[in-house]
Amino acid sequence: MASLKTSEEDHHLYPGRVRPLIGVWRHRSLFPLSTDSKVTYIVISLDCPPPRILAAQLLKPHDRKTRFVNAKLFANTPVIVDLPVSLQAQLMANTSRLYLTCIRNTLEAAMCLQNFPCQEVERHNKPEVELKTSPELLLNSVLIYMNEAEKCLIESSINSLRISLKVKQADELENILTKKFLRFLSMRAEAFQVLRRKPVQGYDISFLITNSHCEEMQKQKLIDFIVQFMEDIDKEISELKLSVNTRGRLVATEFLKQFI
Amino acid sequence: MILLQSPSRYLLQILSTRVQNLEKGVELDCQWIEFDDVRYHIQASTKNPNLLVLSVSLPTPPPETVFFGGLPPEAIEAIKAAYGTVVHILDPPKDGFNLTVKLNLSKLPPDEEHRQALLGKIASIREVVQGAPLRAVLKQLVSRTVKSDLNKLISLVHRPNESFFVVPQADKVTVVFPMRFKDSIDSILATSFLQEFVDARRTAGLGNAPHYLWSPSPPQELEGAPAEALLANAGFVSFVISPRHVQGRKLDKTVWSLSTFHAYVSYHVKCSEGFMHTRMRRRVESLIEALDRAKPDWKKVKRAVQTRSFKRLSINDGRATSNSRN
Repeated sequence: MASLKTSEEDHHLYPGRVRPLIGVWRHRSLFPLSTDSKVTYIVISLDCPPPRILAAQLLKPHDRKTRFVNAKLFANTPVIVDLPVSLQAQLMANTSRLYLTCIRNTLEAAMCLQNFPCQEVERHNKPEVELKTSPELLLNSVLIYMNEAEKCLIESSINSLRISLKVKQADELENILTKKFLRFLSMRAEAFQVLRRKPVQGYDISFLITNSHCEEMQKQKLIDFIVQFMEDIDKEISELKLSVNTRGRLVATEFLKQFI
Repeated sequence: MILLQSPSRYLLQILSTRVQNLEKGVELDCQWIEFDDVRYHIQASTKNPNLLVLSVSLPTPPPETVFFGGLPPEAIEAIKAAYGTVVHILDPPKDGFNLTVKLNLSKLPPDEEHRQALLGKIASIREVVQGAPLRAVLKQLVSRTVKSDLNKLISLVHRPNESFFVVPQADKVTVVFPMRFKDSIDSILATSFLQEFVDARRTAGLGNAPHYLWSPSPPQELEGAPAEALLANAGFVSFVISPRHVQGRKLDKTVWSLSTFHAYVSYHVKCSEGFMHTRMRRRVESLIEALDRAKPDWKKVKRAVQTRSFKRLSINDGRATSNSRN
């Protein structure tokens, strides 16, 4: 369970707020409970409302097969929902929405930046999250985790915030499409202002938001942008993949037609 | 354009403009490369406008491929059979080329239709020269003549230092392409294209198409091929050609599409990369717009841009300008 980072220390980011953290696992190795491949586990870590109620809301009551398995196995009172196949697609869509909602909420809480001049060099003003010169200016980072392939790291400091995304890549084709697309975006980082030229190690793309960005842009809209960005990347990559396959099919059909 | 056309478009254009403006007889010296493998060079002088010298350089053959006098086997016979008296082969060819021919435009047939057909044929000289050995093998399939080289691996060049393999059998010919791409992205896209062929072959209308196989490892037909020919980063493609695919006029088409298979796949890989870039550029624009929406004066900026396109003059402005003119 090392993968789900829900340490208590993160709570200072959420004064008086409930932090939802939802992840979906398909790694059976993590779960010795069942070897059935048709089962997806959803781990919901919530302090409130009672997880069971939330899970029931999530899954709709008509599904009787949903089982709530030993909740005490994991820290922070997670609930494991053992799902039938029929609900998986619906839930996958749902979870990716929840994933984005979770990121949105976390960003809302984390994006409270203020101007802060550098402590070491006079008349310098640098993003502390990049330099990490003084530990007292850094906040704990939050990792929002769907699975090994799809996660989001939010690091924050007094005057800057860094968001790093890892984008899902199911196969080799998706891998190169993602690489190509994200490289394309990173090369245009100047136009995006908040985009980092190079991603943080282990991630595919990173944003760096400083207090000046927050001052010249509306915070809520900036968060909207990041969430839309994530949605668009997923959409674009699946569309690109589809277009490659369609083209491949057309090319193949036309070529083989010549022989008839 | 989905399929590649066998006449070289540029060469055809040069030839038909030349024929149409024969009396002008301008000096001509052009070089170009097609599909990154075949190089052409055409020359004409003002002295004798009817004569054109066309040189073709084929890709360098790998060691396992046999060339007779710098040309694929049976190429000379194929040229003579295809063009007759219009084309005269010069021996030796120009430096750096495999074949040099002299075209005599005065010997073209007089009526328009035949002349265009022959010009098209000359423009597809690549098909005639490079496809000659493949055509010879496929012809045996039509005539069902059992030759001594049955089941023997024949390697034919189709890319610089790369060859594809032909295995003639009694009632079919297996053509195996080791697919190689320089770029890793190209090779992955090509692999996904080549796998689509498998599915496309299964669709209802294509039951009569040649059997198609794709495998990441060399097929058993390639036993005995040199080790460097068995390395391919996009897998191995085999077509099984049966007599019905080479009957009558289909022979030309089959020869052409098989000998340019690599170029065909590579062309479409490049096209889809270009398409991706267009898409990505559009997506970047929409994302930048989404970011601009976050700026509080976004609407003002937009409106300012719109109003800038025309300026409303007041009556006073008009008077001022007319006064100054007076």
